[in-house]
Amino acid sequence: MSRMPLPTERLVQPKLVGYDPTHPRPWLERIAYALFFSALWVMVVLAYGVVPTVFRHYGWLESPWGFAAYAVIEAVLAFLLAAVVALILIVVLRKYLGKVQERVGPMHYGPAGVFQTVFDALKLLGKEDFAPRRVDWLIFRLAPAIVFVSAFMLMVAIPVAPGWLMADLDVGLLYIVAVSTLGAYGVVLGGLSQGNKWGLLGAFRAGAQLVSYEVPLAIALLSVGVYSGSLRFVDIVEHQYGLWHVVPLFISFVVYLVASIAELKATPFDLPEAESEIVAGYNTEYSGMSFAFFFLAEFVELFLLPGFMVLLFFGGWHGPLFGLDPQSFAAGMLQSLYFLLKVAVWVWIYLWIRATLPRFRDDQLMDLAWKGLLPLSLVGLLVAALLRIFLEVL
Amino acid sequence: MTELRFKKTTEFDEEVYAVHPEDYRALLEALKSEGFDYPRSLTGMDTGYGLRVVVHLYGIESGRKATVYTDVPYDAPEVPSVTDLWPGLEWFEREAYDLVGLRFAGHPDHRRILLEEDWTLHPLLKRYDTGGYLLPDWQPAPWPETPPWQEEEAAEESQEGGEA
Amino acid sequence: MRGPTTIDPVPGRTDEMIINMGPQHPATHGVLKVVVGLDGERITRAVPHIGFLHRNHEKIEEARTYSQIISYADRMDYVSGLQNELPFILAVEDLLGVEVPKRAQYLRVIFFELFRIASHLVWLGTGMLDLGAITPFLYTFRDREMILDLTEKTAGARMLPNYYTFGGVRRDVHPDFFKDVAEFLDFFETRLPDYYALVLDSPVFQARAVGVGVLSKERAIARGASGPVIRASGVPYDVRKAEPYDAYDEFEFEIPTRPEGDVYARFWVRFKEMEESVKIIRQALEKVPKVGPYKGKVPPRVKPKGARYRAVEIARGHLGTYVVADGSEYPVRIKHRSPSFANLQLIPDLFVGARFADAIAILSSLDPVFGEVDR
Repeated sequence: MSRMPLPTERLVQPKLVGYDPTHPRPWLERIAYALFFSALWVMVVLAYGVVPTVFRHYGWLESPWGFAAYAVIEAVLAFLLAAVVALILIVVLRKYLGKVQERVGPMHYGPAGVFQTVFDALKLLGKEDFAPRRVDWLIFRLAPAIVFVSAFMLMVAIPVAPGWLMADLDVGLLYIVAVSTLGAYGVVLGGLSQGNKWGLLGAFRAGAQLVSYEVPLAIALLSVGVYSGSLRFVDIVEHQYGLWHVVPLFISFVVYLVASIAELKATPFDLPEAESEIVAGYNTEYSGMSFAFFFLAEFVELFLLPGFMVLLFFGGWHGPLFGLDPQSFAAGMLQSLYFLLKVAVWVWIYLWIRATLPRFRDDQLMDLAWKGLLPLSLVGLLVAALLRIFLEVL
Repeated sequence: MTELRFKKTTEFDEEVYAVHPEDYRALLEALKSEGFDYPRSLTGMDTGYGLRVVVHLYGIESGRKATVYTDVPYDAPEVPSVTDLWPGLEWFEREAYDLVGLRFAGHPDHRRILLEEDWTLHPLLKRYDTGGYLLPDWQPAPWPETPPWQEEEAAEESQEGGEA
Repeated sequence: MRGPTTIDPVPGRTDEMIINMGPQHPATHGVLKVVVGLDGERITRAVPHIGFLHRNHEKIEEARTYSQIISYADRMDYVSGLQNELPFILAVEDLLGVEVPKRAQYLRVIFFELFRIASHLVWLGTGMLDLGAITPFLYTFRDREMILDLTEKTAGARMLPNYYTFGGVRRDVHPDFFKDVAEFLDFFETRLPDYYALVLDSPVFQARAVGVGVLSKERAIARGASGPVIRASGVPYDVRKAEPYDAYDEFEFEIPTRPEGDVYARFWVRFKEMEESVKIIRQALEKVPKVGPYKGKVPPRVKPKGARYRAVEIARGHLGTYVVADGSEYPVRIKHRSPSFANLQLIPDLFVGARFADAIAILSSLDPVFGEVDR
């Protein structure tokens, strides 16, 4: 054929895939996302409930080989969980932004677009992971790993139900402060190593922002530790059986909320990667999977920071048990569901903030951190200490 | 103060001044002190016998409009810059230099603006076609016997007699 | 390569970083390049480079007949395309001595103000995108789409309608047009509170905009700034009032001004301008003659003679067109004085001393469109 075929002459007519705007199917979306959420729940039950319970029940953790097997299995499960969380949250974010902005959002891959991020991740895997000539190669490659590993190490510390946890850390609060600060190193090193001025600016901004927000965040966490008398998450959650910490420690809660948004580098604190100002900030030169690691880590944190907030201020897994024995497996499943639902509500609020607000300026962000949040967090610490003394005297 | 060589007419609602190039800046200084504080535009153009610079002024308070123009020959296309009177004409003068080839003595940043730094020709000259090639049969017209700023009704410049 | 692509470092100074902002930077609204010197996040020097979108309209137009030129004028400020046709048409009409019928004048005004709203909506969306908020962008583009639909239904094209012509407009509007416009205005007025809530009343936006990029009244006049930029500096200069064209002297509307001259004032002025445009269109819908010619008597071959500068107030400010005609079918010289071109001269004034994030806010408050700057 010498000429291009007309569209009507094509043998294979293009088919409208996925979304047909003339026939919206909202129930399909709801079912798809409910299934997605239950997949997450199943992963959580598996990683936090089934495997630790089985290992403890048979006493395999006593032997070194058993412990090693446990560590390996849990590491794999935590990695899978982190990946699933990130994949779900990215598509939820895009879908939710679509709803807010009166669009349809991802629509074509899977029912109602639920597999959009799976395909995005596959695409990123297939792309060349390019490094410009001027980069400091070792640090350039190390930075995404630091960022992702630090986010993924935090998954270990979360208890989702009584006795359902990967590692029962006595210093859980200290651990999350330490490990989440490690992520800031990855961002700063990634920005500095790429030999790009925008990356340099992004690294400066990220360094300044993350350092200044770690301080009030850590003090807010500390006030929870002071009030509940323990750094162990299980103890902290148990301590909230009468009253959730958000009531007595409201000031610390507000500090945690603001500082965690800054920690997430989300609007209105997305300065290190403000694409309209400094192009892409610290990940300007990253491509392919290196970029995907930054991206995934961000969304794992979007799950973890509300998760810690729920544990510290909103009673963790507390919820009506309908007469079940709190230590039973069924109660564990129910309680982990409560935990996930609380986290989902907070993730929704974080996304709502992200969809609404414009961005702060760098100096305003510093002002807010050092002049606003730091004194406020100290007040919160004082309140926590006074309440603690008051309770002990009683 | 010496007598300024210009001819004032009124076209539509504008005062039109045709001025001798040597008095160009002096006239504009006088107009600036008369209250023409807003620079509307500055145009460079090729009249066929030389280059013309046209300045459009406006008085924010008075609402008066003025057009000032002067002609210079091709081989000495230089007029004094008026960016110190109206800083807003800085880019307009650069554009006139860029597209037509007028030089502005005393301009603080006399570079090309729209075209590349190493561009060689001034595309709005009549000797080039739209592709930028020299027109083979183009010849400059002779310099008019009575330039527009002289009071001679017989030789009124054809391009400026719009209201007649 | 466009030279000089950079600015020279100050001898002996090592703490200044020289960085090219543009022409592929996401927030330069097209193809502006500003070479900035940064001391930390503070801008020490700023040298703008323009011309990346230069097409030399003015040379092309010298080889086109007058009615062909109208569609070239559309393509200067493509965001408010229709408005660009008017100064050229007015100038040629002056030279020809053409009378424009009342109905045509009102139709011109209705479309002129619709395009002002459309242009301000694009500005609002992209400006907020620069400030980090994505949601207003999609809201404003949705509303703008309704205006473009109105244009498409009338003129056949959406962004660059080529609708005005010598003596009036090119074709009459369809019978439901006035009802459609009234419906759009009703809808748009329900939308404005959302924009106020998302932008002007947002405390984060106010923190970013108040007191940033202050332009004094004297500097604004001397630099030839126009449009919302000069009105936000307290100068009530609006071509619609200063030299009314079409039927603008028959409408009651205000020129919103603010004395501060900062980014917030420039945003505020544009918001109020959208409200004033709604008022003007409502008046026009009441007053427009329901029957009558939409085009005056124009000679079949347009051969004006003389020179004429006419200006209109487009969304970005004072757009002037200087037409020099010698009585033939082709013009001798057409000069477009574009508002963004003059407004961009303010970049060194406003950028130096500001923080880098402020520079983005200042640039979006100047609202340049590079089709018009570079022509």
